[in-house]
Amino acid sequence: MKPKVAFFDFTGCEGCQLDALNLDGEQVIDLLNAVDIVNFREVKTERDDDYDIAFIEGSITRESEIQRLQGIRDQAKVVVALGACACIGGINCLKNHVPMEEALRTVYGKDAKYYDTIPARPADAVVTVDYYVRGCPIDTAELLKVVKALLLGKKPDIPSHPVCVECKMAGNVCVFERGMTCLGPVTRAGCNAICVTSGRFCWGCRGLVDDPNIDSEKDILQKYGLTVEQAVERFKIYNTYAEVTK
Amino acid sequence: MLENSVLIVDDEPIVRESIRDWLRDAGYQVATAESGEEALEMIEKEDFSVMVLDIRLPGQTGIAVLKEVKAQRPWIKSIIITAYPSAETTTEAKKLGAIDYLIKPVAPDDLESLIQETLDSVGREPTVITAAEIRAKPPVVEVVEVKKSLVITKDGLKSIVESLVRETEVVGVKSRHGKYVYDRIATWEELCLDYDVTVMPPTKYLLPAKETLLKFKVGDEAQVEPMTEALPRAIIGVHPYDVKAIELLDEAFMATNPDPNYIARRQNTIIIAVDCLNPSPKSFAPSMDTRLTETGFDLLLTDIGDDYMVAVGSEKGAELLAKYAQAREPTGSEIVRQKAARDEALAKYKLSLNVAKERLPKLLEESYDDPYWESRTEACLSCASCVMVCPTCFCFDVHDEVSLSLKEGERSRQWDGCMLVDFAKVATGENFRHDKASRFRHRIFRKGKYIVERYGMVGCVGCGRCATACLADIASPLEAFNALAESAGLKEAATRKAMAVRPDTALYAPRPAELVKVDELTPKEKVFEFRFKDGKALGQRPGQFAEVSVMGIGESPISISSSPTKDGTFQLAIRNVGNVTNALHGLEKGAIVGVRGPFGNGFPLEALEGKDVLLIAGGIGLFPLRSLVQYVLDRRSSFGRAVLLFGARSPAERLFLDELAEWSRNPEIEFHETVDRGDDSWQGNVGVITTLIPKVDIDPRKTMAVVVGPPIMYRFVIGELKKKDIPDENIIMSLERRMKCGVGKCGHCQINGVYVCQEGPVFTLAQLRNLREAV
Amino acid sequence: MTQVNINVHQVTRVEGHGNIVLNARDGKIEELRWEVPESPRLFEVMLCGRYYVDAPIIASRICGICSISHTTASIQATEAAFGIQPSEQTILLRKLLFNAEMLESHILHILFLAAPDFLGVGSVFPLVETHKDVVLMALRLKKLAYNLAELLAGRKTHPISCMVGGFAKLPELSELKAIEARLEQALADLDATVELFKTLSIPDFTRETEYIALKDPKEYAFISGQIASTDAGIAPLDKYLEVTNEFCVPHSTAKFTKNKRDSYMVGALARFNNNHDQLLPRAETAAKELGLSAPCHNPFMITVAQLVESVHAVEDSINLVDQILARGLKEENNGVQVRAGRGIGAVEAPRGILFHDYTYDKNGTLTSANCIIPTNQNHNNIQKDMEGLVPIILGRPEDEIRHTLEMLVRAYDPCISCSAHLLNLSFK
Repeated sequence: MKPKVAFFDFTGCEGCQLDALNLDGEQVIDLLNAVDIVNFREVKTERDDDYDIAFIEGSITRESEIQRLQGIRDQAKVVVALGACACIGGINCLKNHVPMEEALRTVYGKDAKYYDTIPARPADAVVTVDYYVRGCPIDTAELLKVVKALLLGKKPDIPSHPVCVECKMAGNVCVFERGMTCLGPVTRAGCNAICVTSGRFCWGCRGLVDDPNIDSEKDILQKYGLTVEQAVERFKIYNTYAEVTK
Repeated sequence: MLENSVLIVDDEPIVRESIRDWLRDAGYQVATAESGEEALEMIEKEDFSVMVLDIRLPGQTGIAVLKEVKAQRPWIKSIIITAYPSAETTTEAKKLGAIDYLIKPVAPDDLESLIQETLDSVGREPTVITAAEIRAKPPVVEVVEVKKSLVITKDGLKSIVESLVRETEVVGVKSRHGKYVYDRIATWEELCLDYDVTVMPPTKYLLPAKETLLKFKVGDEAQVEPMTEALPRAIIGVHPYDVKAIELLDEAFMATNPDPNYIARRQNTIIIAVDCLNPSPKSFAPSMDTRLTETGFDLLLTDIGDDYMVAVGSEKGAELLAKYAQAREPTGSEIVRQKAARDEALAKYKLSLNVAKERLPKLLEESYDDPYWESRTEACLSCASCVMVCPTCFCFDVHDEVSLSLKEGERSRQWDGCMLVDFAKVATGENFRHDKASRFRHRIFRKGKYIVERYGMVGCVGCGRCATACLADIASPLEAFNALAESAGLKEAATRKAMAVRPDTALYAPRPAELVKVDELTPKEKVFEFRFKDGKALGQRPGQFAEVSVMGIGESPISISSSPTKDGTFQLAIRNVGNVTNALHGLEKGAIVGVRGPFGNGFPLEALEGKDVLLIAGGIGLFPLRSLVQYVLDRRSSFGRAVLLFGARSPAERLFLDELAEWSRNPEIEFHETVDRGDDSWQGNVGVITTLIPKVDIDPRKTMAVVVGPPIMYRFVIGELKKKDIPDENIIMSLERRMKCGVGKCGHCQINGVYVCQEGPVFTLAQLRNLREAV
Repeated sequence: MTQVNINVHQVTRVEGHGNIVLNARDGKIEELRWEVPESPRLFEVMLCGRYYVDAPIIASRICGICSISHTTASIQATEAAFGIQPSEQTILLRKLLFNAEMLESHILHILFLAAPDFLGVGSVFPLVETHKDVVLMALRLKKLAYNLAELLAGRKTHPISCMVGGFAKLPELSELKAIEARLEQALADLDATVELFKTLSIPDFTRETEYIALKDPKEYAFISGQIASTDAGIAPLDKYLEVTNEFCVPHSTAKFTKNKRDSYMVGALARFNNNHDQLLPRAETAAKELGLSAPCHNPFMITVAQLVESVHAVEDSINLVDQILARGLKEENNGVQVRAGRGIGAVEAPRGILFHDYTYDKNGTLTSANCIIPTNQNHNNIQKDMEGLVPIILGRPEDEIRHTLEMLVRAYDPCISCSAHLLNLSFK
């Protein structure tokens, strides 16, 4: 019996769902041989509410989404958070810095009361999440790795060390030596340091490692030219939720 | 000639000066020379009684100097000093009349008495006494003594490079983002041979970030195929410190358990080295004896202006020169220019060790508990940048990946590092090096002590890359060594040289074994009986372990639970605790798994022979101990009294119930059992296992105690055994660590300088007293 | 008494969440609404206070499908604010990158989202059995677009190397040459898609409206030009607010727009209607083959216009690669001088004209941002189209009515989650 797989989208840009299907012909066929995709609103009309594995994309930004996610958790045997929004809250959390009522009133005026919105949060702030496919967007290869691990009955082998390891493996010259600053030393690897290899630096979209030395990273950012405010602003982009709860 | 005049020839200032000071204090007239050439110049002008000569000198080698001295002033008695004695050099030196051979670091007393003895023996025939134990074995890479240097023009080198580019893949040093990197080159113009240091070392071409070890298929067409890559390649621009690093990797990967993947690459790599004339400000190569090298390359170039001086280090190198460049003899002034270039470069180094490098192992040993480790690592990010850029780091991890069809896959290895948080973590979640300070200390110990002691070669080549890469600015081993420096008289440990060349192609390839029987012991533990498909026996000693693979899931170390006296099959008792063991627990009779091994040292049967054996098993400690119990019973007459104590947490957690019953009935073994807590039906002893020990009457002079159990149990059991006056050497234990490769290469199972998969998992208490991390 | 009650909650095979509500009794429409209950993501809030280096990174995340469009618009707005003129090389690379997204987005819509309706199935998955070649071809085209984007910017979704001032990393000429061969192959694949579409029957419904798109005298505009309208002629970019006129709608988090009429359309058909004479030769031929001629007022033909644009994008890409190979690529100094100022970046995202309007302070930090999303501008037109379509089909079975309305929505290829945001917010 092939496991039944469902994709659900909450508040996000849907890039992770799209990238989930960034497969070549053979991979699509192999995938459909291995699992039954029973629910994927963006791509198919039929839907089936009997599923084993649920992929969650997007963060939770309204009350109705909380209930919906809880319903999914009740049904699914395995819940996998897909992408930064679902895993760590993502950039949606940037709006958490602005008081909600004020923002809504400024924009929608008297209609503000119709808009149900709460501070953005990751999926595991609402339900237990079993596995994470991180990144903004995800790396399709990592998603496949998690799917294969689930099919094999083993824990997916996701790194717990910082991006620096993969940057060196890729042969990159450290961006700190090139006039830039980077969150790689406290960000979880698994992306093959793609942003540095592409000429930029790490913005931290995969979230922090388990026990990041944030103080050391902040010191380093300042040593290499950022002010305290600038360093905090840089962290905010993807790690607002982590900081807010600390 | 002055009666007691000594000439000291050594390029290391600290060796020269310290010996000079000792001997002057002892009343000798001492002169010093820092190179062979200088020594010869001095000997032309003056005469000496004794010459103390370092065999490894820049420019003219010690052997060459010895020859010259013999020719010019044959009555000068020579004493050779070296860090790395070898059979060839001894023989050669003996032929040239050297008196004696001392290993660095030289103890002043030894040297002084030897000199006195030498002077006393004037008139007698010179003899050679070797003071070191040397194993004479054939060399790995053909070590050709550099006979002389030749000269080629820059165009000549260009022609070599361009010809190589046409023939093979060529990798060289190029500039990128204002730094230097090794990368493929297509034209001569891309090369930057006057660089200071590259970001990543050239060792990444011998041990790439990721490489496939095996390809496999599962299911009906199950098979396992070892994979090696043998793409021919030339690397141009390798600095001497990197050449030394490659020599270390050669030793680590070829001398024992010859690694087929490394060997395939190594034997297809041409190394064209280049003297470093523009050192990086963070480099301290001179202190580590890696500024210059006489071995380890095919060609070595020194830029002397319009031309290159080139030393030939191998037949391949000679071939390249002959084929593609007109090499000629150097003129006298060119030789001088080479020395000048090297001396100029030497003057540019900004950093140096404040202690003789030979003293480092002892220094570190004594600094194990220094507060330095804690204070130094406050800012550490555990990012392992230091490891990744290091030419002498080579630890790796191994993972399985499968295709979406789940039918085939690859097992590959990739770089790993002891500085990463989870490096020493095992499946149960325990992390044997869970804090930054101990991880950092381990790395520094590797560089300054463990590698030196195990392989007889330098562990840190002083390239300075880690100091540059470390954002927290804490990584430099030089800074650590200097910070801990104190003077001490040190003895250097034993040395070894790289030997065997033939790769063990099946080193990482598991052999198929069929599951013939499975029995459940408890809900979480089962015992599996396997037979190799080819019918061969496993050939284990009791106490060894095997690496068991479920292809696609991974590979896990499992103790062997049956004795080799049981023919045909072997048994593994396994607790379900992680990915691989979980997959094993799901298997049924007839399933095929992969098995490598046996690995480890096993219980010391020779030491147990003829003695009384007291075997103590706590919980699943019975898994490995059972093989010894079976062995003792099957070879009963080889042993004296046999006592077996077993403790389980509760009656439900007792293991091998049938055998327990059998052993309690068997008159050949005294069996006592206990449970930590009983239940309604339990009639036997209740209490922890230590409660059984006082009841047993043993003679400490002829009893060997073998203890296996969970870590917490050891302390208490040993306490009881010591109360019975059993000496430390007679208490034997088996320790758990994360064994991954099983062959002493991936680094994960290290306890201080020891590899548990090689020197363990069985240790005596006496040995463990010296292993601080074993506690 | 006949009742028609249709309540499609979250239309499938569109990006984002939209609902269709239709209640009619005895042939009289009581309620007909295109609802956008998408969660407001407050992008302008996220952008304010960001340093210019980070602004395109945030802007990119407005949409996963048109992230290159948002990144480009964001970069252009910033460059306009700082008075930076990108180099010729940068412009060539940006156009090529943009074509990659245009191709990918259109193919995704044409073959994965819309085609199933025409082939009578609920998704692309059953097509793997019945039309395997078509599916493999669609995947091949998507992969080509992805790889082209990866080559230029490191990644297709949320591109990396493109930044204010230029590109952080340049592709290897040899790799460009290699991908050119695949672009040639893509032309053949697109020909096959055109042949397939000739066999499908597109619903026939027309309603004339205003069509707005960028117009550039030199070429079929994607990332340059001024605002053109079929009703009103040309307007400069800084007049965009007067063209778009966003307003709030009850029960919809997305704003609606209008200009000269009750609503207007943006997107592939709007571009075609404004600029059809600038299509490259093969695209022009494809349009003829498919029976698409200007002016076209049938929203169901948007998908066909996208197919024509796909051909154009590939043809244009081949030309661009040739140009780049001829000039070579050289490392440029991407240094940026920040200054206070306001700039507007406008691009034709696959779904239509997109505006990013940024104001920076002297330190290069955003003090205010406004984004007008293409689908925003289409919501009103969708509403008006439904109002025109429903009376015509009200007599049909309820299932068919619902399906037709869904197909109408899908035809627009809406990107709803980007469209739900808020109006101009200023801080400091």
